[in-house]
Order: sequence, then C-alpha cells, then structure tokens
Amino acid sequence: MIKKNSSDKSAAVSRRKLLQAGAATLGAAAFPMPVIAQTKPFAGVTLRGASFQHRFFTLLQNYIPEFEAQTGMKVDLQLSAFPVYNQQANLELSSGGSAFDFVNVTFILAARWVAAGLLANLDEFTGDPSLTPAQWNPKDFVEGAQVPYRDAKGATYGYSWEGGAMVMGLSRMDLMEKKGLKIPKTFAELQQVCAEINGVENVTGIVSFQLHHWCLPPYIQGFGGNIFRNPPTDIMPALNSPEAIQAIEFYANLLKNYAPKGVVTYTEDQARQALLTGRSNIFIHSSAWITPILMSGDSKVKNTSRVVRMPAGPVRDFPAANSQGLGIPKNAKNKKAAWEFIKWALSPEISMRLVKEHGHSSVCRKSVIESEEYRKLNTVNGQDLGALYLEVLGLPAKGENYMAYRTVKEFPIVGDVLNKAFEQVATGQLAAPAAMNAAQEQAIANMRRAGTAL
Amino acid sequence: MSGGMSGPIRRSASVRRLVAIGVTLIVLLSPFLWLLQMSFKSNDLILQFPPPLIFTPTLQNYASLWQGAFPASFVNSLMSASFSTALALILGVPAAYALSRWAGRGKHALSFAILVTRMAPPIAFTIPFFLFYRWIGLLDTVTGLVLVYTSFNLPLVIWMMQPFFETVPPSLEEAALVDGASTRVVFLQIVLPMVTPGVAATAILCFLYAWNDFFFALILTRTNARTAPVAVVNFMNYEGWEWGKIAAGGSLVMAPVLIFSLAVRRYLVSGLTAGAVKG
Repeated sequence: MIKKNSSDKSAAVSRRKLLQAGAATLGAAAFPMPVIAQTKPFAGVTLRGASFQHRFFTLLQNYIPEFEAQTGMKVDLQLSAFPVYNQQANLELSSGGSAFDFVNVTFILAARWVAAGLLANLDEFTGDPSLTPAQWNPKDFVEGAQVPYRDAKGATYGYSWEGGAMVMGLSRMDLMEKKGLKIPKTFAELQQVCAEINGVENVTGIVSFQLHHWCLPPYIQGFGGNIFRNPPTDIMPALNSPEAIQAIEFYANLLKNYAPKGVVTYTEDQARQALLTGRSNIFIHSSAWITPILMSGDSKVKNTSRVVRMPAGPVRDFPAANSQGLGIPKNAKNKKAAWEFIKWALSPEISMRLVKEHGHSSVCRKSVIESEEYRKLNTVNGQDLGALYLEVLGLPAKGENYMAYRTVKEFPIVGDVLNKAFEQVATGQLAAPAAMNAAQEQAIANMRRAGTAL
Repeated sequence: MSGGMSGPIRRSASVRRLVAIGVTLIVLLSPFLWLLQMSFKSNDLILQFPPPLIFTPTLQNYASLWQGAFPASFVNSLMSASFSTALALILGVPAAYALSRWAGRGKHALSFAILVTRMAPPIAFTIPFFLFYRWIGLLDTVTGLVLVYTSFNLPLVIWMMQPFFETVPPSLEEAALVDGASTRVVFLQIVLPMVTPGVAATAILCFLYAWNDFFFALILTRTNARTAPVAVVNFMNYEGWEWGKIAAGGSLVMAPVLIFSLAVRRYLVSGLTAGAVKG
C-alpha cells in the first residue's frame, strides 16, 4: 500500500511538475522578448553605420564584438575611402535617406549637414538620464574639437572621435643645429629657417600640400585677417583684405622659394613622405600627419625630429584645429541603438583602451589625454605630444573661436576660390593683390549664385 | 615614281617610319607602362624622386590586394559588365535587325528617339536612379547595376548594329524564306553569322562602358555590389594613399578588357570598319 501510495504520490507530483514545466515553457515561448530585453535591450537590431576608412575604426572593429555581446545588436559598419564615403553619405543624407543609423560627420561637411538639419540633435540623448548616465559626461570632450558639431544655438549634432591640431614637424634638427638655428616661433623666423636649410644636403626648407584652404588660413589669421568678415554671423568674404594679401604673398614665397617643385599640387601623402624621409625639413599640418615622424616605423628621421607649435603670426597665433565626429542622421531608423553605439565607441573606457592597447593617441576625451598613462605613452624624445595636442585643439574654444570660418556652410565655396587664387600666386600667374581681388569677387558671385544673401 | 626611289632613301624612310611608330607607341603606352611598373614597387620606391627605373620588383601589392575585398569587387564588375552586355545584345540585336528591315514612315523618328536616351549626361540620370533604386530596394545590388548599364547600352547596340544588318543583302533572306525557313531561322542562321564582327565590336564597346563605369557604381553601390573601379579609389584613404595597391588594382582592372579585346581583335577591326560603309 505504502508503495502504491507512494507511487501515486510520485505520479501526482510528476504530473504537477510536468504541468508546471509545460506552463513555464509555454510562458517562455509566448513572452520571450521581454525576458531577454531585460539583459540585451537591442537584441535583434542590426545597426548600420558608415564612415571613411580610418585607423580608429579599424581598431574599433576589434572591440565591436564585445559591444554586440553586451547589447544584443549587430553592427554593420561600412567603411569606404574618404572621397567615396563623403560622396555617398552626402547624397544619402541630403536625400533624406535612412540607410544609415549612424554616420561619420566629416569635418569639411559638418557645417553644411548641421545647418541643413540633416542630423539628429544629440542633446536630446545626453539630456535624458535614462539614455545617458552622468559619468559619460559630454563636457569631457575637448571643447575645440566639438565646435564644428554645434549649430548657432549651441545644440550638439556630433561627438568627435578624432582631433587634428595643426603643429609643425621639423625632420632635420641636426642640420638646423649645425647652422645654429633655433626652432622658429614666428613667421619671420620660419622664413629665415627655411631659407637657411633649403638646399643643404638636398633638403628643401618646407613642404606642404594642395589643400591650401586648410594650410593658408592660419597665415591669414596670423597677419590679422580672416576668411569671412566676422564668422559665423557676418559671412561676407574678406579675401582681399590687406592682411589676407600679405599672408598669401608670405606663404606663396615660402613655397616658391623653399619647397620642392610641384608642391602646390602635392597630396598629403607626398608631403608626409617628404618629411618622413627627411627630404623636407618643415611640414605644418594636422598632428595626425606630423607625429608619425616620431612614432611611425616608416620614419627615417626619428632621432632628428621635433614636433612643436606652429609659428605665430605678427598679429595673432591661431593654429588650425579640426576633428571628425559621429552623428545620427535625422531619419535614422534606430536612433536609440545608434546613440548606444556612439556612447560606447566614444566612452572614456574605449578611448583609453585605444591609447593603451594600440597607441592611438588622437582621441578627444580630455580625461584620457590628461591622464598620466597617456602622458607616459605620448612623450617621445622628451616631447609631450599629448600636452601639445590638447593645447592646440583647445585654443579655438578659448576666447575668440577663430575656427568659426570652417563652420560656415558656405566655406567650401569660398575655399575652392581661395585654392585657385593661391595657385595663381604661387605659380606666378598673378600678383597677390590681383589674385585676391578677383577671388573676392568670384567668392561673392559664387555664394550669391548658391542662394546666400550677403 | 616610287619605283625610282633608291635603296638608301627607301631604307631611310622606313627607319623614320619605325622611329615615328616607336615614339607614338611609347607616348600612347606610357601611362599604362608607368602604372604597371608602379604596381611592382614598394610605396617607398613609388614616391622616390627621381623615380628609379631599375628596381627589385615585388608582388606584395598584388598579394595584399587579393587578401582584401578587391576580389569580390572584381567579381561584381565582371558580373555586371558581362550580364549587362549580354542583355543589351539579346534585346538590341533583334531590335536593330527589325529597324533595319522596317520601311515604315516612323523609322527615323523611332531610331532618333532611341538615341535620345544617350544624349543626356549620366549625372542627369544618377539622382533619379538613386532615389528610385532606394525605393525599390535595388541599391547596392549587381542586378541594379546590370539594369542601369543595359539601359545605357541598349541604344548603342541598336544604333551600332543597324548599319551591319543593312550590309546583308535582303535577297539572301528572301531565298531562305522561299526555301521554307521561318523568320527566326533566317535571323539566327543566316543573318546573324554574317554580322558577327559587328556583334563582337558592339559587345566590346558595351562591356567597356559597363566595366569602366565609375560614377553609377559610386552612387548606386555601397559595399555588397561595389565594383572594381570604385574599389581602386577605396585605396585613397584619409591617412594616406596606398599607391602600390592603386597601381596594382588599376593594372588588374585593365586586364580583362585587354584579354577580351585581344581575343576578338580580328572581329573588332573588321567590325569597326565594316559597319561604316553600306554594302
């Protein structure tokens, strides 16, 4: 009997258990998502992003599986060449497309994209504590690097992942020391050093490249001029001001007399190679291009190089700064997921890992750049590259925002005109006053034709 | 008079001709040869000035090209160019035959209307194509590219093939019809073999158009259907141009067209000249 009872009891328990298990299975089958969602809120989401190919993204791709495991989403990051990406993204955003959930906001396109309302306002995400924890701290980004991603009212449309600070690279300090020359700190000293070094051991005094509307403005501003009268509020071009003409003459003379032949049409790569191999002594450009003389394995001048502030002009000291950012297209389908990705990719933790594990130093988190670890890793030949980088990158945000001219959406129109005018002067086709007067008229005409009221 | 030319004068004229041919060949081939020699150099050597003409060649650029996404782009190019060429020929050759044999009043107007589609620059069609393709989901697909190239090649096929068909005497077709052959048999077994050089020449031009296209491929593809010309540009990176890969990619992009042209060069030469004059 006992046995029987026991058997019945066990059978009854077994049935109950079976029913419970069945109910649990049915329940799990009926409501699986909320349970999963508690741990992986973006499970099943495929996040589509695009950018131009850059070391930052190549390195980030190593960490993306971790992000996917944390969030449950899948990241489809499409990387293309710089011109290809810009063309495709510009078309996609301008036509109101929703193919991408996040995009790289290329520096040269940022002003137009922000002004045309093609990007989502990220303040809506940072202002919501449920979407952005306080420790993410948007104010931790280097202020100067954030300038291009703000509209006139101060709303933020992108967060920077790379900063470029205009610095001066000197590859042949050995030659300079032999001649008793010091690192030039003013435009006048720059000209003197170029003149003294040019031709010694077949080294040219300076090298530059064809993006004159990037290289030239610090000289124009250094002499006291600007690209526009008072950007971003007064965008009347100021290309034929006496200061701008003086700057054009100065810079054209540097390249005409002390740079390799054909420098006016050099690409960035050609110029960098000239510096890395020691064929040219000075190259003034973004830190990302200059610091390889100290850091890159390709550099043949590591022991004779210095990376320093670009020389100051007689009136002002305005080295250029730029940055690349991540943003969310206005019509993106998965905005919250995209923000989750941006938050992760630009977090202090990932930035620090990029610095520590890969030596990728052009991050934009102040807390990382100011850290002891960063300083240790980026002090080469006694030069604290981090401090220099932070100093230059932060300058536009201190006092006058002298990089405001780059945030004017009409800048590309004026920049093209400036490029042509400079080429005419540098190749001796026109004198600087004639070229710049013509450029001023051309810039105004082109802006009006594009619908700008001046 | 020529029979009166002495031996040394004739030899001198012949030498001058050879020199002229040699110089012309060098001038014409120099961009290609320059690209080819660049593809066998390391990046350091490519940017060296003056450029070294004697160097130890390396296959490193080709090897690294083949390890990346370039092969997929190459296949995309091959597929889009081949399918669009085949489709344009399948549709265009019978159309050209029909037009050449049609004596109705609307013939010239229709022929002109077909050609009109080739008169606008491609940029005029790009944005509508982009928006339409996005709407129907053909963006970044080889099918999308095939359709675009076919639409541009079709008028070319119809216009190029008409003169070839006009050189075929209608009496041959009439004789076959009298013998009981159907129109299809007349077209496929009698007329078509007689215009093979024309078909070959037209096919090459269609293939070249599709193979070399950059603009449509740039706008209408992303990563899945990216073609070889766009993939070559993809080596122009923000942090530096990969000159060696650009040169190797450019050389490889030229190879299929070169091989195809060499394979059918007999037809190509006669095709390009034969259709020009009515028989």
